[in-house]
Amino acid sequence: MFSPRTTKPTFKSYLPPVQTDGKTSIEPPIRKLEPTLLSGEIVVNEANFVKKCVSAEGSQEDLWGKLICTNFKVSFIPQDAPLKPKSQLSHLLLGEHDIPLTCLDQVVTVNDVKGKKKVLGSNQKLKFNPTELILYCKDLRVIRFCFSEAGPDSAKKVCLAIAHYSHPADIHLLFGFEYQGRRYHQAKEEGVSGSTQRGGLQTQRFDRPSDWDREIKRTGASEWRVCSINKKYKTSPSLPENIVVPVSMMDRELEDLAANFTDSRLPMWCWNHTNGSALVRMAVLNPLQQKKTEQKFFSAISKSHPQHTEILKVDLDKSLPNIQDIQSSFIKMKQICVLEPFEESEERWLSSIENSRWLEYVRAFLKYSAEVVYHLERKNVSVILQEEEDRDLNCVVSSLVQLMLDPHYRSLIGFQSLVQKEWVMAGHRFLDRCNHLKKNDKEESPLFLLFLDCVWQMMNQYPAAFEFTEAYLTVLSDSMWIPLFSTFLFNSPENRAQHLLEFAKSKAIPQGEDQAVFFPPVWEWAQQFSTKDQTLFNNPLYVGKGATRFQNGEVKTFTRSKKNYGSINQGAPSSVRNGVRGGEDTLSRRSSLMSELKPDLPTVKDESPSEHFFRDWFSRPADLQGLLIPQLLPSHLSLWKLYFLRWVPEACIAKGGPITAYHKLSLLMNEIEVLQNQLRQYNRTSMESASLSNQSGSLSERGRMYFRAISAEDPPVPPDFLTSSFPFSAVGNLCRRGSQGTPVSKFLNGAKTWLSTETLDDTV
Amino acid sequence: MEKQAGVAGTGGAADGEGSSRKPWVCGPASADSLDSPTGSHVEWCKQLIAATISSQIQQPDILSRDNHKAFRRPEFMVSKRLNPRNLPALRYGAQVKMYQVNQVPLLPGETIQTTVKDVMYVCPFSGLVNGTLTITDYKLYFSSVEKESPFILDINMGVISRLESISVPNQGENTKGLELVCKDMRSPRFAYKTEESQVDVVEVISRHAFPLSHNLPLFAFLYKDQFPVDGWKVYDPTAEYRRQGLPNESWTISKINSTYELCDTYPSVLVIPTNITDEDIRRVAVFRAKHRIPVLSWIHPESQATIVRCSQPLVGPSDRRCKEDERLLQIIMDANAQSHKLTIFDARQSSVAVTNKAKDGGYESESFYPNVELNFLDIPNIHVMRESLRKMKEVVYPTINEAHWHSAIDQTHWLEYIRLLLAGAAKIADKLESGKTSVVVHCSDGWDRTSQLTSLAMLMLDSYYRTLRGFQVLVEKEWISFGHKFSARVGHGDENHANSERSPLFVQFIDCVWQMTRQFPAAFEFNELFLITVLDHLYSCLFGTFLYNSEQERVVHEVQTKTISLWSYINSQLEEFTNPFYVDYENHVLYPLVSSRHLELWTSFYARWNPRMRPQVPVHQTLKELLFLRAELQRRVEELQRETTSHSLSSGSEHSPTHPTGTALHTTV
Repeated sequence: MFSPRTTKPTFKSYLPPVQTDGKTSIEPPIRKLEPTLLSGEIVVNEANFVKKCVSAEGSQEDLWGKLICTNFKVSFIPQDAPLKPKSQLSHLLLGEHDIPLTCLDQVVTVNDVKGKKKVLGSNQKLKFNPTELILYCKDLRVIRFCFSEAGPDSAKKVCLAIAHYSHPADIHLLFGFEYQGRRYHQAKEEGVSGSTQRGGLQTQRFDRPSDWDREIKRTGASEWRVCSINKKYKTSPSLPENIVVPVSMMDRELEDLAANFTDSRLPMWCWNHTNGSALVRMAVLNPLQQKKTEQKFFSAISKSHPQHTEILKVDLDKSLPNIQDIQSSFIKMKQICVLEPFEESEERWLSSIENSRWLEYVRAFLKYSAEVVYHLERKNVSVILQEEEDRDLNCVVSSLVQLMLDPHYRSLIGFQSLVQKEWVMAGHRFLDRCNHLKKNDKEESPLFLLFLDCVWQMMNQYPAAFEFTEAYLTVLSDSMWIPLFSTFLFNSPENRAQHLLEFAKSKAIPQGEDQAVFFPPVWEWAQQFSTKDQTLFNNPLYVGKGATRFQNGEVKTFTRSKKNYGSINQGAPSSVRNGVRGGEDTLSRRSSLMSELKPDLPTVKDESPSEHFFRDWFSRPADLQGLLIPQLLPSHLSLWKLYFLRWVPEACIAKGGPITAYHKLSLLMNEIEVLQNQLRQYNRTSMESASLSNQSGSLSERGRMYFRAISAEDPPVPPDFLTSSFPFSAVGNLCRRGSQGTPVSKFLNGAKTWLSTETLDDTV
Repeated sequence: MEKQAGVAGTGGAADGEGSSRKPWVCGPASADSLDSPTGSHVEWCKQLIAATISSQIQQPDILSRDNHKAFRRPEFMVSKRLNPRNLPALRYGAQVKMYQVNQVPLLPGETIQTTVKDVMYVCPFSGLVNGTLTITDYKLYFSSVEKESPFILDINMGVISRLESISVPNQGENTKGLELVCKDMRSPRFAYKTEESQVDVVEVISRHAFPLSHNLPLFAFLYKDQFPVDGWKVYDPTAEYRRQGLPNESWTISKINSTYELCDTYPSVLVIPTNITDEDIRRVAVFRAKHRIPVLSWIHPESQATIVRCSQPLVGPSDRRCKEDERLLQIIMDANAQSHKLTIFDARQSSVAVTNKAKDGGYESESFYPNVELNFLDIPNIHVMRESLRKMKEVVYPTINEAHWHSAIDQTHWLEYIRLLLAGAAKIADKLESGKTSVVVHCSDGWDRTSQLTSLAMLMLDSYYRTLRGFQVLVEKEWISFGHKFSARVGHGDENHANSERSPLFVQFIDCVWQMTRQFPAAFEFNELFLITVLDHLYSCLFGTFLYNSEQERVVHEVQTKTISLWSYINSQLEEFTNPFYVDYENHVLYPLVSSRHLELWTSFYARWNPRMRPQVPVHQTLKELLFLRAELQRRVEELQRETTSHSLSSGSEHSPTHPTGTALHTTV
């Protein structure tokens, strides 16, 4: 049905008459509108003379070209070569006008004349000839194509093809499986060994016992051990093969007790504080076995604490929004930020944001995590996070807690390792939550995005504390919708192992080959971006391991001593610190080892001990290499504008936005790098008394900064292409229909487009 | 110039010389003092208040709190050599004295009026704090030694709007309560025992908070301090017009108002068209409200399009005309060869402009003024703005409305008005820049919304006004010299708090500027502290800058000889007010994005009294350290280069010249 078409008429002769600008006498060379295809990618359908709308009403900027559907993406190839020089992030695998099929949220066809529209699924029929195709994307883009000059038949076919191929029947039909198989063999043929491609990839994947061992050592969790009862996933299908458990518990005992937990997800160690308290996560228990099982685990966990303190178990399901709440909040955010006509949402913008509850949820997760931090840090008790399945809310809270407590996770590699540990290996259902197969909308929920937003809030409050930038977080969120990396494709480690095993077999990949070689994780950024573009991930303000600093007349490399993460009251007995005596435990506890996380009794007027702890912490300057607590009044949280507004042309500040400060800082850091290189060069030459002929130019080429002070193309004034949307382009990626359009188009602006997948024929 | 002043300026923020810092303004900087075992709300209040005191009096220290070593690079230290700025002598002499608990720091010229013991400060965050209240002619100074760490509250008299007695339960019959409702969004409360006071506290405070109502001078006239820079020299109208390329063939710098006879609320120096007689100008004056005739405020360096400001025409219900006024606008239009149009921006809502006709005011009829296009900007009047800010106070003080923060802000409409103002100013700027058309801006009297709009438009158009010095000139010119009624709008020294003339129009303007600095973090030479300082001294009556309603009144009261300019204080320590991100966007017109999506509530100003509103970790401090680092590295590279050059003279020719590091960034360190 969707066989590749090969008709290639000369485009020029059919050009619509709009394009008259006096220069018609100069005949542009006829471009062949060929898509750039990845290996294994095939064109399944295409239509010529399609208009990509760049602004709401017909405009001169609209692009004419060819719309193509492949087994990987929707591609649009404009007839006219791009006018402006490339100024934004260029993706190595996707062109400016490309959308991966996995990124499509809804495929909507419209016939303006008949006043009809239809949301297309797979294998559907279309009773009208579409005049327009609107693609609602999961990364919030809204792309609109017009078929006024295209053949009605080919328009219809390409729409159906896009709808069909964006609803894959099976995970193996996701293009990554085709692409990575071919890529693997090509690399083999070319003699490029997979492992060198993985260069620079020090991200721990936690798929080997050694990664967990290293983490145990790093955090000083000597009373915990790696256990392999889940080898071959024989105990729990959703836990990783290696889990970390108290040393006092034997494998046999663990195996016996595991069955009492939902999905056999017994308590799994996440992280240890230097004071000995541990962060643990688990699923809920079968009520019949609850008491006994908990008793055993809790006493073992308590034994693993140097002070054998009691345990705090907190129930996330009771206190935090659930995945449906989060999803519906996100839908409202989309509605407000990108779908509603810009002017209409101006009037009561802050109230609309409040009504969506998104920031409220972000705040709830941060606040909850901060409470857990308080117990680990100040109360010195181990905390168990409990959630029905231990696969959603626990992922957010456990990773936020670690991000606040451990500066290691605020480095790029550390952050990626954290995502591996608490999301990928902990069995967050990425496949379902992303709804890659578009099978069950009820399971869809932007939990990972919510987490990234929480991280952004912290970054916004502590701009020098993170090694990476908001551009990195945004690019990471976008990567969820590119099905070429193994990170976000599966529901659990077992699910991944099984699919990758089948995949390896079907593609004749030798057994025992590293998964990351034949199906790389997203952390291999070189697959998506050039080295230069990757420097946009680097925060020039970051101080951390390896950052060069100046001390007593010496340029030194800042190295963090191994033990200085985690605690601000390290070494000082908690009893004297700031008048809050450690023993002053106002929390009424039952004699049992458990206690619910609830507001502690106030010590000062209307203040809980944790609030007191936070306020006390805020009263002193933050140590960016120590504990980091976000401020949590509603007034402290902001909208993550780069993520939510980057496609909105009306919201794009020309020559402005935070990027201009980033630009200035980058230039400065680059100058410092260059100077340091020069010094190094001089020192070397003076030592060797060699000639000075070789200046440091080449060294500076490898600078960490995207913007370079020395190059002529980067003047001190932010270049004109810098906008608040940078490194993304607010041009042509968000095309609402004009509000004064037909009634149908008015309807299209409504929320229902996102909320409903039903066919809504002619509702007016 | 700034650079020099900066170096001569204050102890750098990164000086690391904590010992010489005054502990009482330590704010969160001095961890030692904060490590006090109380760890209570008091600490919070203290820091907050200290931070604000410092922003009022001792700006350097608000920055120095950013300066704590533990935060940021512990390893990074700036050598003495790099940082020659030791604690300067120029800070207020009295303030440099080390703080002692029982000693009230006094400004030169300040005298203690009375001291009241056993006063309770009713802290909205931590309850009662017992201490001593000292009342001077400049401030209320409350200090508590009750707790282990001293607690200090410092409120200048100028900021007090009204005094209210409040009831204080459970403190005995003789205890009276007093609330100081302030103009800067706070209302501190005190309780004191009447039996023990010899003096009537309310009476003393009232005298010095409202000196004009008690036939006493404003404190600015008592304040005696010396600064190395004379801020009164910042603004010279002739020099400013010369900078703009004036006079030229079409425009002349006129002395017609040199004795304020033509218009008593206008400056003495006016720029008017060359081709008009003084006689005609006088006729125009009669036709314009308060005689505020159309005069040039700014001229585009390329297109010669101008911003002209004035008051409403006195059209009245009978549609009066004035030939001279019509001709004047025609001349203004003709002075710009690029356009055959003139656009009038009337800041008011059109309905209000119509209503004004009944009150003998009105607007220009397009039928009498050919080629004139009239636009109404729909900005509500001063009473609406006052009400809006009053609502805002309820949202942010004493506690933040947590449950409905965003919608509560929406309901104050404050940001909506900010949006209207910025949108109006952007329209004006765009008309000049893109339309190359001259504009006339007025509201009713041409001293409130007109000043807001013209100064904001000029800030967008002219990068000079985005420098520290240029901004001062802008404020001096568009606000102070053109007769924004600061005295009436702020109510300096006047007890009549309910006066409907009061309105936060200047605050609103500074808020708009702040919004622009948020959108263009690198385009302004001044920082947020500068804006907050300007607003603090709008109220404080410490400096003469914002006193009185017009230039004429200032001349009569000899403000320039008898008081000190705020700019003396600021320009003596420019570094503290400098934005380290600043890059000169020379010749760039900056249009802020006028959208609710990018307008934010300026919490670090409006909500700064809430102890939980800790200012965010300031990036600029880190940036300053990096600038030091770069300077040091440059020095060492140069040293090594000199060494190697002298060592290897033979191979010297191969030596490539140093690449021009540092020149790319024009930042005042």
